[in-house]
Amino acid sequence: MNSEQNLQQAEQLLAAWNKETTHPEANRLDATIAADDLRLAVSALHNTHWGYLSAITGMDLGPDAGQMEALYHFCNGPAITTLRIRLPRTSDVSLPTIEDIIPPATFFERELHEMLGFRIEGGKSNERLFIPDDWPEDVYPLREDFKIEQAKPVEGRHADELPDEGVVGGNKFVIPIGPQHPALKEPGHFEFTVDGEIVTAASMRLGYAHRGIEKAAESRNWIQNLYLFERICGICSHTHAYAYSQGVEKLAQVEVPARAQAIRELVAGLERIHSHLLWLGVTAHEAGFDTLFMYSWRDRETVMNLLEQITGNRVNYSANVLGGVKADVGPEQAKAIKEGLNYLETRIRHYLEVVTTDTMFLNRTRGIGTISYEEAEEFGLLGPTARASGLLRDVRVEAPYGAYTRFPISGVTETNGDLEARCVVRLKELLVSCFALRTIVDNLPEGPLTTKMPRKVPAGETISRVEAPRGELFYYIKSNGTEHPARVHIRTPSLCNWVSVLEKAVGRQLADVPMLIAGMDPCFSCNDRLVTTVGTSGDRKTWSWKQLREYGIEYYKR
Amino acid sequence: MRIGTMFKDIVRSLFTKSSTQLYPLERIAPPERYRGILSYNPSVCTGCTLCVKDCPSDAIELVIIDRAAKKYIMKYRMDRCIYCGQCVVSCKPKGIGMSNQEWEHAALDQNFMVYYGKEPDIAKYLESTAAAPAAETDK
Amino acid sequence: MNTLTSLTSLLIFPAGLTLLLMGMLYEWTDRKLVARFQNRTGPRWFQPIADVVKLFAKEQITPGIKNPFLFFGLPIVAISGALTAALYVPLLGFTPAHSLPGDLIVTIYLLSLLTMCMGLAGWNTSSRFALVGATRALTQVFAYEAPFLLALLGPAMAAGSWQISVINDYAANHWFIISQPVGFIIALIGLMGKLELPPFDAPEAETEIVAGALTEYSGRGLAMFKIGKSVELVVGITLVSAFYLGGLHGILPFLAKTLGVLFVMTMFQVLLTRMRIDQTVGLWWRYGTILVLAQIVIIILLKGGLS
Repeated sequence: MNSEQNLQQAEQLLAAWNKETTHPEANRLDATIAADDLRLAVSALHNTHWGYLSAITGMDLGPDAGQMEALYHFCNGPAITTLRIRLPRTSDVSLPTIEDIIPPATFFERELHEMLGFRIEGGKSNERLFIPDDWPEDVYPLREDFKIEQAKPVEGRHADELPDEGVVGGNKFVIPIGPQHPALKEPGHFEFTVDGEIVTAASMRLGYAHRGIEKAAESRNWIQNLYLFERICGICSHTHAYAYSQGVEKLAQVEVPARAQAIRELVAGLERIHSHLLWLGVTAHEAGFDTLFMYSWRDRETVMNLLEQITGNRVNYSANVLGGVKADVGPEQAKAIKEGLNYLETRIRHYLEVVTTDTMFLNRTRGIGTISYEEAEEFGLLGPTARASGLLRDVRVEAPYGAYTRFPISGVTETNGDLEARCVVRLKELLVSCFALRTIVDNLPEGPLTTKMPRKVPAGETISRVEAPRGELFYYIKSNGTEHPARVHIRTPSLCNWVSVLEKAVGRQLADVPMLIAGMDPCFSCNDRLVTTVGTSGDRKTWSWKQLREYGIEYYKR
Repeated sequence: MRIGTMFKDIVRSLFTKSSTQLYPLERIAPPERYRGILSYNPSVCTGCTLCVKDCPSDAIELVIIDRAAKKYIMKYRMDRCIYCGQCVVSCKPKGIGMSNQEWEHAALDQNFMVYYGKEPDIAKYLESTAAAPAAETDK
Repeated sequence: MNTLTSLTSLLIFPAGLTLLLMGMLYEWTDRKLVARFQNRTGPRWFQPIADVVKLFAKEQITPGIKNPFLFFGLPIVAISGALTAALYVPLLGFTPAHSLPGDLIVTIYLLSLLTMCMGLAGWNTSSRFALVGATRALTQVFAYEAPFLLALLGPAMAAGSWQISVINDYAANHWFIISQPVGFIIALIGLMGKLELPPFDAPEAETEIVAGALTEYSGRGLAMFKIGKSVELVVGITLVSAFYLGGLHGILPFLAKTLGVLFVMTMFQVLLTRMRIDQTVGLWWRYGTILVLAQIVIIILLKGGLS
């Protein structure tokens, strides 16, 4: 079934509640429904397994327009169905929850609630996820009329001042992992209630690396935003820039030359090698196998040096510009890439052997955190975490973009769904990548590196999906014809994968918890990029660079 | 099922050189395309200020003294620059370049403002601003 | 003069200061070897000394504790236990400073005293990580102590005495590693468990419980625990190599044999992943104990057969 037929099927499913249908792009269906019909519409799509819920975007159209919007995006291969709900902008904007139908929706709904002020009826989506405890009530940073002076911390509610529930009762007590903990490479807060060594409950708070990026994107022009989004994450930086530039180029209806597309795929492939080797080292370190950690990070230096030769920096490559790429791949770079890939391939095969045969390492990974295919679908997992359970969710395979139509990637899955399977999936993906990269280097299309991009991107909205090393990265970009974006919503893959940790930690030993967290390859920086503000008209410089810096310094002076 | 799968690696490592780079005693030269400190050529500048507009971190400020005579001063803040290279791309006459030799600029003070331009222009500019004198260099 | 020589041997050479320096030297060797195995450079020779000096110079922060007397006293007891245990083993190849019948048990007990002190220290602070670390440390003692003692018992039975100096002299002519290989392996691995070296470092698993029982210690207390651990390293290796590698008579054989044992232990450290605490206990109580009991039975039968 191709994407047109998919969309027709979706339209038929939603016919009962559909008030207005548009097709903003060839592969997208946008259906406006009423808030009361939301649960029915979502159930209809979910029960027929029409795709999966990919993201929920919230928007504040401003006090002048007097409306707020919530968009529910469902993806099925390349086809995307968006359920659009428009609500009047009153003091009580409410939506029913869908977390009982689709469990991972709870994270998206929490984001809607705390950033925009939607009240989610039912379920526990009215709790805070990203915003700290001492943020004032009823102040929603995403709203257009949000002023920086409103964000004064409430006295007595800072995390240090809240009571610490150490012992819960009997033999059970709460072990906090994070925000500062050697197990985490980036800050996050997990609380595991343990009884002896067995975990009985788990909960999570994020937002420690929250930088207000979505709001900051409001006040920067399209070119500046490219670099802002690149710095959301250090190890998926190129994919963020790729997704953003792809989206903006779609809005501007600009065709990127083939050579630039191929180089983008090349850098993305090298970044994937970098990211998975890093992940392998981190997982080995969590398991206590420091030797594998040191060796895989040593080999990671090879790929970082390659990237430095091509783009000029080891991290945050800045290879993209709007309309193409900055860095060309000439004959010496091509030679260096091939040599590097040969070396890396030998080492990756060696690590694959280590990971699948080393008895002591297998004691820590085999049979732990097993997620079946059905559970993976229900939890809405993405990326290698899902592929290890047999669920092939890979944007490069299902909805090829850019140069992936010309240099395709085959999807890699395993069936066991435990930690060992996740290791194997990632390493096998790297072998597939190496093969594809060699093909690209040998068959790089000729042509220019960039095309001309207008400084003012025409009005419209677009969705750009890219496969980051951790899963599907979802960008929703809306422009209103000026030099600044109206709204950029980013849904990173790590946000969807948290459920796998929280559900699977219960019943396991405390020692398995860091392995479970590492097994889903969390990228906390990717998670915490959002502070949203939406403004289509009115004050766009609400958060200038200077204001954001000063606010940050002031906030942390205490 | 084996124990000690990395045995060959560790034995081989006893006889090979260590991978640690003993910085700052050993320095590996950066590659040709490395993005280091900016350099500026006022004689090809047209004063379009695209570099200023496109800089993601407001690191560049251009003072236009005389457009026809190509008298410009670029005020460059080394600490704000994120070394992304967008200014290099935005500049059509290729007036901005990025050095691949100079990139070790950690310092103990906070004088990160660098002035590029012709020396008499810079001197006159600094006098006229009459603020507390900042670090002056001309390149 | 006798007092003077006793005092010198106690405080400066071969115990006391020399022992402390040897402890740090062995710790450095261990870290350097681990680094070279991992293709890294590793620390320079004075690193452990610098660490200890730095720790002594830092402020000791007293966290929330149940019993301040324990908090300040436990590091001292720990380090004195390790130093006292050194009096009964042939350090640097010299005959032990003191010798009494049954001092094998005394030495093992004094070495365990250090682990018990760490466990108690973990319980004493109100940090959850320390509590979990202390629980694991004591669980691990429960696991490896019996097989380790039985493994050391093998040469003792063959030598017909529980006195370390007697066994040491007996072992000069009998290399027990050849006649009791299983015992040697169990003793070596048991020593790694005792010293909480990987793969048995669950009690101080950095990525799970920060630093285990010693999480809340800083400054002097931490320095003393660290010194105690490095002294325990030396004493433990001395014990195992004296029993199984043909006795230690002289400085050169001492250095050669103990460094050899250290090399093998480091290799095990580097090759193996950390085991979970339940896997550690399972391993010891399933395989360790059975193997060493089998070894003891064989010795009894052989001795009975020979005499």
